[in-house]
Amino acid sequence: MKILTKILICCALIASVPSCKKSVLTETPPQIITADNLYVNYNGFENGLNGLYSLVRRCRSGINSADPTNDIMFEVNVSGVDNSYGNYSGTPYNSWGAASNPAFISYSRIWAYLYQTVDAANTIIGRVPANTNMTDDQKNQILAESRLMRAWCYRHLVNLWGAVPLVLTESTGLTFKTDFTRTPVTGVQAAMESDLLFAEQYLPVTNANDGKVIKGTADHYLAELYLTEKQWAKAKDYASRVTTNPSYALITNRYGVNAANPGTPFTDMFIDGNSDRSQGNTEALWVLQNELNVTGGEGNNIMRRYWVNRYYSLTEKGTDGKATSPFVVTIADGGRGIGRLSPTQFALNLYSPGDDRGSNFAWRFSYAINNPAGIPKGDTLNQVIPVPYNTIEKISNPNWPSTTKWDYANTQNVNVTASYNDQVLIRAGEDYLFLAEADFEMGDLTDAATAINALRTRAHASLVTSSQITLDFILDERSRELFSEEDRRYTLLRTGTWITRTNLHNNITKNLITTRDELLPIPQDVIDANLGKTFPQNPGY
Amino acid sequence: MVLLSVLINTGVLAQSTNHQIAGTIKDTKGQPLVGVNIQLKGTTTGTTSDANGKFLLNVPAIPCILTFSYVGYLRQEQTVGSGMLNVILADDPKNLNDVVVVGYGTQKRKDVTGSIVTVDPQRLDSSLPNNNIAQAMEGAVPGLTVTQSSGGAEGSASIMIRGQRSISASNSPLIILDGIPYNGNLTDITPSDIGSIEVLKDASAAAIYGSRGSNGVIIVTTKKGKSGAPLISFNESYGIDKLSDIPPVLSPQAFYAYKMVRNPGAITPSEQAIYNAGTWTDWEKLATQTGARDQSTISVSGGGDNVKYFTSLNYVDAKGVAVNDNFKRLSSTTTLDINITKWLTFGSSTRLTFDDRSGLPASLTGDYSAFTFNPLTTPYQPNSKTLTVYPWPEDTYYANPLAPTLVDNTNYQYQIYSTNYLEVKLPVKGLSYRINTGVTHSDQNDNSYYGSGTKTGFEDQGEINETADVVNSYTIENLLNYNRTFGKSSIFFTGLYSYEDDITTGTALVATGFPNDVLTIYQANVALHSSNAAAYSKATLLSQMARLNYSYDSRYLVTLTARRDGSSDFGPDNKYGTFPSVALAWNITNEKFMQGINGIDNLKLRLSYGSNGNQAIPPYSTFAQLGQSSYVNGTVTAPGYIPTTLANPLLHWETTNTLNAGIDFGILKDRIQGSVDLYSAQTHDLLLSRTISSVNGISSIYQNIGKTANKGIDIGINTVNVKNQNFSWTSNITFTLNRNKIVDLYGTGKSDTANNWFIGHPINVNFGYKYLGVWQTTDNLASSPQPNTQAGYAKVADLNHDGQIDGPDRTILGSALQPSFTYGFANTFRYKSLSLYAFIQGVQGITELNTTLSDNVNTDVEKNTYVKNYWTPTNPTNDYYANARLLASPIYQPNIYNVGIYQNASYMRVKDLLLSYDFASETIKKLKMRKLTVFLEARDLFTITPFKGFDPELSSASSIPILTKEFLVGVNVGL
Repeated sequence: MKILTKILICCALIASVPSCKKSVLTETPPQIITADNLYVNYNGFENGLNGLYSLVRRCRSGINSADPTNDIMFEVNVSGVDNSYGNYSGTPYNSWGAASNPAFISYSRIWAYLYQTVDAANTIIGRVPANTNMTDDQKNQILAESRLMRAWCYRHLVNLWGAVPLVLTESTGLTFKTDFTRTPVTGVQAAMESDLLFAEQYLPVTNANDGKVIKGTADHYLAELYLTEKQWAKAKDYASRVTTNPSYALITNRYGVNAANPGTPFTDMFIDGNSDRSQGNTEALWVLQNELNVTGGEGNNIMRRYWVNRYYSLTEKGTDGKATSPFVVTIADGGRGIGRLSPTQFALNLYSPGDDRGSNFAWRFSYAINNPAGIPKGDTLNQVIPVPYNTIEKISNPNWPSTTKWDYANTQNVNVTASYNDQVLIRAGEDYLFLAEADFEMGDLTDAATAINALRTRAHASLVTSSQITLDFILDERSRELFSEEDRRYTLLRTGTWITRTNLHNNITKNLITTRDELLPIPQDVIDANLGKTFPQNPGY
Repeated sequence: MVLLSVLINTGVLAQSTNHQIAGTIKDTKGQPLVGVNIQLKGTTTGTTSDANGKFLLNVPAIPCILTFSYVGYLRQEQTVGSGMLNVILADDPKNLNDVVVVGYGTQKRKDVTGSIVTVDPQRLDSSLPNNNIAQAMEGAVPGLTVTQSSGGAEGSASIMIRGQRSISASNSPLIILDGIPYNGNLTDITPSDIGSIEVLKDASAAAIYGSRGSNGVIIVTTKKGKSGAPLISFNESYGIDKLSDIPPVLSPQAFYAYKMVRNPGAITPSEQAIYNAGTWTDWEKLATQTGARDQSTISVSGGGDNVKYFTSLNYVDAKGVAVNDNFKRLSSTTTLDINITKWLTFGSSTRLTFDDRSGLPASLTGDYSAFTFNPLTTPYQPNSKTLTVYPWPEDTYYANPLAPTLVDNTNYQYQIYSTNYLEVKLPVKGLSYRINTGVTHSDQNDNSYYGSGTKTGFEDQGEINETADVVNSYTIENLLNYNRTFGKSSIFFTGLYSYEDDITTGTALVATGFPNDVLTIYQANVALHSSNAAAYSKATLLSQMARLNYSYDSRYLVTLTARRDGSSDFGPDNKYGTFPSVALAWNITNEKFMQGINGIDNLKLRLSYGSNGNQAIPPYSTFAQLGQSSYVNGTVTAPGYIPTTLANPLLHWETTNTLNAGIDFGILKDRIQGSVDLYSAQTHDLLLSRTISSVNGISSIYQNIGKTANKGIDIGINTVNVKNQNFSWTSNITFTLNRNKIVDLYGTGKSDTANNWFIGHPINVNFGYKYLGVWQTTDNLASSPQPNTQAGYAKVADLNHDGQIDGPDRTILGSALQPSFTYGFANTFRYKSLSLYAFIQGVQGITELNTTLSDNVNTDVEKNTYVKNYWTPTNPTNDYYANARLLASPIYQPNIYNVGIYQNASYMRVKDLLLSYDFASETIKKLKMRKLTVFLEARDLFTITPFKGFDPELSSASSIPILTKEFLVGVNVGL
């Protein structure tokens, strides 16, 4: 009996062991989402597009996603150029030379960011055609948006580095590559053209969703691509598609949230509450969306942080010789900027009198004393102190004008680091300048003058005649209109004027750039990681 | 002949006149020994000593020979006549008849074939009130290195056995607590609850744990009760901690001068005003304090014939060196061993822990670190004790380092760790079945509210931050044991089938935008913005194992083991791995030809070869995951996803094959004992997080590639240097030499610069430009490979002499984690009742980046920096380059290549000095005490090192890389 009891107990114990089915080891994570289970229907692909838009939005935040409040992504495009410079010390974009080398971590990060976005686009593009749960219209819409954003990435890559690997398929764990080759610029541009033409065909003229790209967006980038390729007629064609479309009309009258207060039509577009097409901005072609206190609205946008100067650091001496800080950060003064990027003296002197784009609605040329605890002896509260620019630009200089385009602060926190307003990325105004440039290159100076005058009329500036149209004039006009909005470096490179104009007009970078610097060095880690083939470096590095 | 001996024997028995022998048994310190086994030699007649060390034994005739044996003491034989007997037993540092825990069972030490080290019980003794077990093992086990990774109130450490094997998988050894794999923190186990620790180092010893055994196994067993009257112990210690060897930062005046040179335009009015008035702040003094630790333990153990118990209650109250760094712990341990019937045994070991980590410590790291905070700032509002939100009004990025002390934080963790077993002796002789079960449950809630007095709360209008983490683990093991002796042969067979499940779940809430701070964390429902997140992770392990030990005449020993593990972490076709091993040992001292040799007391040769696996990649690594990256449509969230990982369905076990040859010896009557092990471990199919070209869009992927090799030697020697009536001196020396190198990576024989993996070099190396000093005015600046060099610039080596500083000029600059050798030297001096324990540990041949030799102040000199010997034209040093100055053009930048300065970080540290006094038993008997010891201890007293940066031992990822010295006083009472 005792033995039987023992055996029974053993059996009971052994039976308590769980069944040894192999399925016990299969992982079924409830909290993980993969491309295979997301990209199955229209909603899933829309989610993927949202992810792509949020990646594009990073172009106005910091390079390092772990520290997104510093090192704005495309600083290299607006520093070391003729109309703006880095207003702080230690930036390679002022000094170039040995400081702009393949080990410079910012180059590595910009490159990685662009290819990450390319891969996200490729993942969507690759999976759309085979999908059986969407209509053809839906498929074309998804493809149009994702292909445009892929072309947007290659636009940056090819302008900054020249020949780059052309990757058009999604990366997987079993097919990733270690032997990339550099596709020549013409090859990359051909792929961009194909993507943009497809997008142009299938994107709607307008979209109730303010954040989405539209037909005008594709027209705009095609015009720019054709200008870069020197295909003037095609450039003119696509630029005209924007300039002649009433849906993309220039803002010529006061409108929106600030209409009752003094201002100009030009500056209205940039005010928080006016930037979206649904808010009346017919000129907008692509508006980046941000929103305070909403999940997905955190864009870590640091445009204001970079372009607004450090007026709160200004000190004024009173009649007693003591220096005080007369200005504190306010919403009215644009919020808290750290003044990393500033206009050159040249840029400030480009405006003729009466030009709205050079008015004190577009620029901060003075500040009113607003710190009761810091009034210099002899001055009073609200007294206006001018910010002069009659000397050449200097480094670490808070006493210098700044643009108002990116002003932002809110009542919750006037010192807020990021900006949460919707911001125009590209607008129809630039297409008039594309048109003028294409006309100029084809010899049609009259049409060029007409295009430019459309912008000058809106800005209440004096009109120009066809005899005044030169390449330099067009580039000057671009600065007047698009200061801090455009990728200035790309414009100057495609017109072959980067070195000459920067040497002429930028007193910080003067004579420090060479032809080598027209292309950035391929990041060292990209060369190191290309184990299968040697990845050639750009000349001079 | 047989008949004659029977007659003689019966004759002896027939006499049977009972003589009683009485006596007392004490140890060399004069303390009575309880439970000593006294036997009449050659018979089963015997008894055990009582709580006072006294015994009474009835013997048939005197004189007779009695044997005295007791675990931890040398066995003695004495011829006994009449009269009181006083026996003194001597300590046995390494008792060969000791039973050693070998994993799923025990073996006599002499029968062990693998490389196993028992941690010296003295290290676990409650007179060494260590922070945690890692500290208790430091330097005591050859081949084992312990790195302190935090100096906070709680403290933490990481352990490595025989060097780093794996590049990216875990290098931590497997910890088995009371038979069940323990996934928690070492710091949670109270050292005074621990009865024994064994470290299994080679493949054979660790083979039974197959997977996860490739980094070695540490087996920890809680104390068990002993039959007899209850023994009560009470331990109390109190210690203080002080930060020491803090690298100096610039004084406020020097900081001002430094800033005026570097960027005079960046001086703000508030800084100028503070400088003029002399009202600067010593932030380090405000944010640090003398830490204190109060630890009390009370335990009771005892038992009868069939039930043995041990229970203890432990309380820790610690304050760290950072202000508001608090840690309280209340824990209890209970072990029960019950013989239900002759064939059924039940055992249980349960630990309950409650941890209170409430309160956020002042910032000692990061941008707000009090050490490097701008001294020209204001900590308190004028004429008040209220902290400023922005100590520097012109720069609102900088929060007050003391702000965390204002955060309303509660952080509670409850843990249960319970292992239970049932053992059945089956009807077949020698066969038994055992089922082990283990359950762990941990529940941690960390809730914080940031109010308007802090920068976070001020800018977000209040912030709630709540996390709740629950971890559950279940283990079930079925063991079949067969133990038989046939003549001179004995067999010990173990079969195992086990299942283990680990599930982690967590939720988090962040909410901001509140009307006021009154309700703190209880107002999430009125937040302007809130977001929730949930996490889940599950890993399962299914294993089978068989082990056969065969020993012939205790001279020739063989062990064969095979283990098969399946892990859920791997791809569908690669879940299982098989890990076999074989070990041989030869007890030379048991050979007949050794009987005559007197000098050698123990000599054993061991040889083993086996394989272990490592699978510590995170669960779900075989999936291509998308991560959240959302957008907005107006004011509405537009959920978005982007690819974040690449899938590798081919992931499988990383395997290490180790060959180990060892020798255990004891000579001169065991006055010198030790072991020497030589090993060679080859690891292949390493699990690497490999950096790939960013052109792929995702820059890393887990793969099984590469081969590494670890070769080395472990030496551990125990010596009894001096031993006489009143004075003794024993030493314990450990020495480890491990050479690690990468043998191959991707099958092409080429190195991978992007990951700093170089064929023929250790896994972990420093790689970068080489710093040669500073360009002097007398140097030929035009010949410099760096364009536009000026005097005062950092000199970088142009290794390929091509006149440029670029990629090929980078080189390997030593390693921070692969020393030439490590050593430990422990000495115990005893004079009557006073004893002194001194332990020195050293690491030789590591090179670390000196992080204090960098400025890290930002363009506008926003932070303070460490004192450096800057180059100036009047101070032409080579230590450090010039303080970057601001010139209009050309721009002066002394270190555009960002070359780091690496220095020799070898060190020797006096880790432990312990002075203790044991009161004599006569004195304390009046107080009815069994034992009374008082002690004074100093830890990390001083260090000898050429390294001039932060503490060379603390890993650079540590939260506070500054050493804390500890001074303790305490008392141990036994009743």
